[in-house]
Amino acid sequence: MDKLIVSPSPHLHTKTSTKSLMRDVVIALIPAVVVSVLFYGWSELLVLGVSVASCLLLEYLITKYLLKTSCTLGDWSAVITGVLLALNLPATTPWWVVFIGAVVAIGIAKMTFGGLGQNLFNPALVGRVFLLISFPTYMTDWAKPQGFITNSIVDAYSGATPLGIAKGLGPQGVEAMDYLNMLFLNIGGSAGELSAIALLLGFAYLLIRKVIKPYITLSIIGTVAVFSGIFYLANPAEYTDPLFNILSGGLLLGAIFMATDYVTSPMSKWGGVVFGVGIGVITMLIRYFGAYPEGVSFAILIMNSVVPLLNKWFHTKKYGR
Amino acid sequence: MTQTIIWTIAILTLLGALLAVVLYVVAEKFKVEEDPRIDDVEKELPGANCGGCGQAGCRAFAQFCVESEDLDKCFCPVGGNDVMQKVASVLGREVAAKEPMVAVVRCNGTCENRPKTNEYGGYQSCRVKAALYSGDTGCSFGCLGCGDCVSVCQFGAITMDPATGLPVVDEEKCTACGACVKTCPKGVIELRNKGRRNMRVYVSCVNKDKGAVARKACKAACIGCSKCAKVCPFEAITVENNVAYIDYTKCKLCKKCVAECPTAAIHAVNFPVVKPKPEAAPCHPERSEGSVKPEVEKKEE
Amino acid sequence: MMKTFSIGGIHPSDKKISKDCKIEVLPVPSKVFISVAQHLGAPATPVVKAGDQVKVGQVIAEPAGFISAYVHSSVSGTVKSVGPRKDIAGNNVVHIEIDVEGDEWVEGVDLSDTLVTEIPQDNKAILDKIKMCGVVGLGGATFPAHVKLCPPPGKKADCLILNGAECEPYLTSDYRIMLERSKEIVIGAAIMKQVLGGCPAVIGIEENKPEAIKAMKAALAELQAAAKGYEGISVMSLKKKYPQGGEKQLIDAVMKRQVKSMGLPIDVGAVVQNVATSLAVYEAVQKNKPLITNTLTVTGDCLPLEKQHNYLFRIGMPLSYIAEYAGGVPEEAAKIISGGPMMGKAIANLDATTVKGSSSLLYLTAEQTVRGVESACIRCGKCAEACPMGLEPFLLQKYARNSMMDELEENAIQDCIECGCCLYSCPANIPLLDIIRIAKGDVIKIIRGRAIKN
Repeated sequence: MDKLIVSPSPHLHTKTSTKSLMRDVVIALIPAVVVSVLFYGWSELLVLGVSVASCLLLEYLITKYLLKTSCTLGDWSAVITGVLLALNLPATTPWWVVFIGAVVAIGIAKMTFGGLGQNLFNPALVGRVFLLISFPTYMTDWAKPQGFITNSIVDAYSGATPLGIAKGLGPQGVEAMDYLNMLFLNIGGSAGELSAIALLLGFAYLLIRKVIKPYITLSIIGTVAVFSGIFYLANPAEYTDPLFNILSGGLLLGAIFMATDYVTSPMSKWGGVVFGVGIGVITMLIRYFGAYPEGVSFAILIMNSVVPLLNKWFHTKKYGR
Repeated sequence: MTQTIIWTIAILTLLGALLAVVLYVVAEKFKVEEDPRIDDVEKELPGANCGGCGQAGCRAFAQFCVESEDLDKCFCPVGGNDVMQKVASVLGREVAAKEPMVAVVRCNGTCENRPKTNEYGGYQSCRVKAALYSGDTGCSFGCLGCGDCVSVCQFGAITMDPATGLPVVDEEKCTACGACVKTCPKGVIELRNKGRRNMRVYVSCVNKDKGAVARKACKAACIGCSKCAKVCPFEAITVENNVAYIDYTKCKLCKKCVAECPTAAIHAVNFPVVKPKPEAAPCHPERSEGSVKPEVEKKEE
Repeated sequence: MMKTFSIGGIHPSDKKISKDCKIEVLPVPSKVFISVAQHLGAPATPVVKAGDQVKVGQVIAEPAGFISAYVHSSVSGTVKSVGPRKDIAGNNVVHIEIDVEGDEWVEGVDLSDTLVTEIPQDNKAILDKIKMCGVVGLGGATFPAHVKLCPPPGKKADCLILNGAECEPYLTSDYRIMLERSKEIVIGAAIMKQVLGGCPAVIGIEENKPEAIKAMKAALAELQAAAKGYEGISVMSLKKKYPQGGEKQLIDAVMKRQVKSMGLPIDVGAVVQNVATSLAVYEAVQKNKPLITNTLTVTGDCLPLEKQHNYLFRIGMPLSYIAEYAGGVPEEAAKIISGGPMMGKAIANLDATTVKGSSSLLYLTAEQTVRGVESACIRCGKCAEACPMGLEPFLLQKYARNSMMDELEENAIQDCIECGCCLYSCPANIPLLDIIRIAKGDVIKIIRGRAIKN
């Protein structure tokens, strides 16, 4: 003991830090990453590697030479952006397209707003949507690359995503699909859409570690279920059923990992619920009536833009008021 | 086709005219009658909106000037006498010149003079620190060193000297707006007159503890011994609550007190050095406040 | 379902290392320094001067206002000086220095161990005794007890809540007195309940102290069987959640009522007193003994178990004396706290002396207490989740840094109870409470100023 420290109360501090929270999200993403690497092989590893490495590199360069602030790589947030971006891309995406996605994600969507905590939109999604609009051929090429494990279901359906099939052929086209299989191993699609159960494992981990609260995720899934349920009951020949909509596409990935991003989601509980309902409704509107087969990314980005408003409208319940 | 064009033009014209009427009515209804002289006065002001005059900003000050009976009650510390003369001429009135002022840090509790007794571990803000306790040194009156004055100064006139841990006022940049004086929770900073050729004599200590206690906490503390008050030929020095104060309106800069002070708590700045040493040149504005100069001065005496 | 408050809260740590250490009586040092500012409100005015002879329990300072309290000498001897001395925050406060000679008490104080279970009937005399004995709230705020026990006209107490939650980690002084002085506490509660007009009384204790709950229930049952005036008192076990012992939170937990913003507990019919205050009330009313002693815990992770202590101290003892007596300040201690780790004050000056409200000497290591480097807010909302008042600290700190007073008031910064939950839970180490505390003071000043104007 040299000199006593004096500071205002409280004198204890939680062990949870920005770094540990972000690291937990990365850990929660591991099952999805493992599944995607197993089934998409080397090409998926390349996408992941390029994505994470370029996100880290860009954040380093920007903080060091443009913003001239202290290095923020240690907080793991760039890693999350990298992994999420990779999971949102087809495994066959060329490395330079992935790099452009990272430039948009980190350079434009995150750092121009002032870095972690300041960005309005989810960086990985901005990167993904930018690529989707700029390089539609690469982004919708669902050709199945050689994986480490072969699976008859995956191989059989290579070439189109379930939602793509549904968009093209209507509900009849997806009748042949087995939901149990979709739960464990989706057919076709971007890496992160492969296995619902891997994503749910990550969700459970995040809940146990108290990283996120479940209400945003649940309200998205609930809204999708109710919305598609009504349409399905009204006209099963025209519209796909609720379970299909929940299990297919990037809904779970988006609802669990991207809509719950701290920075771009509302702070209050009810704000979160409204946010989730909005994402669910917009997703289903795009899926049923839009030009794209999938709408989760757009839905989340659109709802990201109303988060400041939701934060203004919804406040916590105050004591004695 | 032609009809569509005609209709479009007609509707848009009508709409435009209608909205113009609405805008006119609203503008008339909510028109605020203002003395046009306020605008004229505001044009003369520096536009820093620092609040140094005691008003909410330059516009409020302009209004205050126009409405007040006596212009001598209004003073823009940033613009100084020049601006006040201009304001007076705009309003067609007279204003007396005021003596230029400067912020003076009345603490010399450098790391060396005033050793730390504990380590502050909270938010780096003097206000937070002052609300918590007496500070991380034995002196409970002096500068806390978190730099609230630096962040509040709109003119970049105050910097923290890492060597001493004390703020340094740049006399060239200081406009005497008084923001630092208001901010400092310990009341260490004072506005004093700039003095003849910028020469000033002041007590660089505000410690009200008894001599022995103050001396124990800080080597450069005023111990309230009253020697300076006795030696002062102009009765400019008063000792109250164990601390001396030099009234700058009475001080004639004779520096007798500087020589007398046993703890070197009285600082004389910007005086020409009698036998100039190369490193102690007097015209060195950014270092003129610090601890170095007065010691040099003392050696000369 | 265990009762608890409805909004926010955290659970920082379960540590109560010194809970099995019996209360030991500290010997009187050769010299004491008794502060005249040991309570909330105006500092008392000294009524002795250097050279005066004083006895234990003699009044040495009188209240200087409505909210103020008597201060008594804790020792017998000669007054050496009356003058400024530094308190634990290093600020100058008038202290009365007394050289100790013997241990002679003033007349009329019952120093025996006999339990006085009969409750006097004259409420005015009781209140007078509480006031004359300088009893203040010992839960932290040291608010003069007699003021709280006289509800303003038109207001009635519906429930007396005795706070035995001791929700702060490490502190065990309340726990020990609940075990060792349970009957006295119950009698104190019965006295206060009678003064308040016979409303029911609830003793709230957190569930992590089952022995204390058991001891209090046993004492209550025994007294109810033996004497009159103990009806309507009950023991309630509460969920362990910080800040369960906060006045507003306790009222919410026990009565399911919430005090309005800027309001007082009595507005919803509640009076909250700490169990230690109840003990002081017992000693004042039944034994004529003024408040000159209290219980203090010496604890910390860096202390071996044999150096953990619960002491009965007298006011005016230098903290350094207690630390030395307990075996010295451990080498690893980086911060010493008077009070709990969540709301206690870091000691800047160990030469300061004990006051009525002193409750601990807590040694924290650098690893435990040094704050991390502040980083950007990631808007995780953990501070808002933790806030037991339902405030949004992330928002308040932003407004406070920009001096946006109207927005601060709209967002109820004045309701902040400074419990520290926000700063505790912030993963980005933002000094939320440091900033909010200052701005809260400013906003309350504005509100008060407006109230005076109107």
